Amino acid sequence: MNFASCPYEKEVRQLIERGQWPAACLPELRAHVRGCRVCGDLVLVSEAFQHARMESVAAARPVAPAVLLWRAQLRRRNAAMERVARPLLGAQIFACAVALFAAVGFAGFEARSGVESLTWSYWHDWFVHLPQAAAAQWGSLSSGSPAGAAWGWMVLVPAVTMLVLLGGVAVYVATDKQ
Amino acid sequence: MAPTGKRTRMWSEFTLPDAWAGGAQEAAGAGISDPAMENEAFAGFYERSARPLWAYLARVSADPALADDLMQESYVRYLCAEGAPTLSTDGEAAARRYLFRIATNLLRDYWRRPRAASLEEIPEEFFAACDHAGQTESQILLEPALKQMKPRERQMLWLAHAEGYSHREIAQVMGLNVASIRLLLFRARRKIAALLRACAADGRRS
Repeated sequence: MNFASCPYEKEVRQLIERGQWPAACLPELRAHVRGCRVCGDLVLVSEAFQHARMESVAAARPVAPAVLLWRAQLRRRNAAMERVARPLLGAQIFACAVALFAAVGFAGFEARSGVESLTWSYWHDWFVHLPQAAAAQWGSLSSGSPAGAAWGWMVLVPAVTMLVLLGGVAVYVATDKQ
Repeated sequence: MAPTGKRTRMWSEFTLPDAWAGGAQEAAGAGISDPAMENEAFAGFYERSARPLWAYLARVSADPALADDLMQESYVRYLCAEGAPTLSTDGEAAARRYLFRIATNLLRDYWRRPRAASLEEIPEEFFAACDHAGQTESQILLEPALKQMKPRERQMLWLAHAEGYSHREIAQVMGLNVASIRLLLFRARRKIAALLRACAADGRRS
């Protein structure tokens, strides 16, 4: 299809846009439009679309603008809440990573005591005696003994990590997700 | 387009605390003098632009229910957009063009989405069997012709001949370059003119 243009096209378009076609145009121009395919197409299509637009505009039933303002506000609020929640999630992931690292470190430290550390009874005894051992070691930690301090830190780090983790969860729960 | 500084929003955020206002308070800067007036400005803009936008969506999609949904979504996206032109700084024409651009993109997204049955899969007999009683002349003539046009052609033709947009404005709305619009529009116009003439001839014969 060849791209053709007509010198009168602009004039015809302006007349249509101003609503002056065909009443307010010269008979020569009307005669030209009858014989020119480009201008004829322009008039035919523009009139059809203008008519359709008028009908559709009259048929439109838009909702109240307040509804849209409210929906937009709600959407912005949700987006803002997501932005706020993102660092919390990051903090929780970090806390989990620290706790995991401490747990692995602790397990590694205990595994140095030999094959018996891999048995169930070893860990059962360890948990049973944990309160007494913790109390005793806490004493060593506060007194400054190096061996006691090492063990004490192994208890302290997971405990602090757990607190951080629970803190993050508490803040997350406290934020009204709804 | 950075929203800070000069950007002023046309709606108020006064019902929400600053922390939850989506950064709009910062975006608004010192521009909001009277929130109620800003809401009124939006209401006026909506009053003037909603019906033409709905007409565009309804005619191009041939689905009034979809047009309702997409129109609301267009306004919500416009209100939430950080870089959207505003009435106070950019003027209503720019805001309206931006709105039409959002609507055009929403339509494009809708057409790209997989559906149970597309328009092409519906047999021609369905349309032929449709009752034309109660339909207006333009619906009887224009609708069958529009259905035979590609979605992009429908959009372009509506923007050019119903909304009276220039080639440059259509290019902005549709995200194409001006030279392409000129050629594509010429072809689309010639095609739909032939279809309209054929429809009119069929109508006269029957």
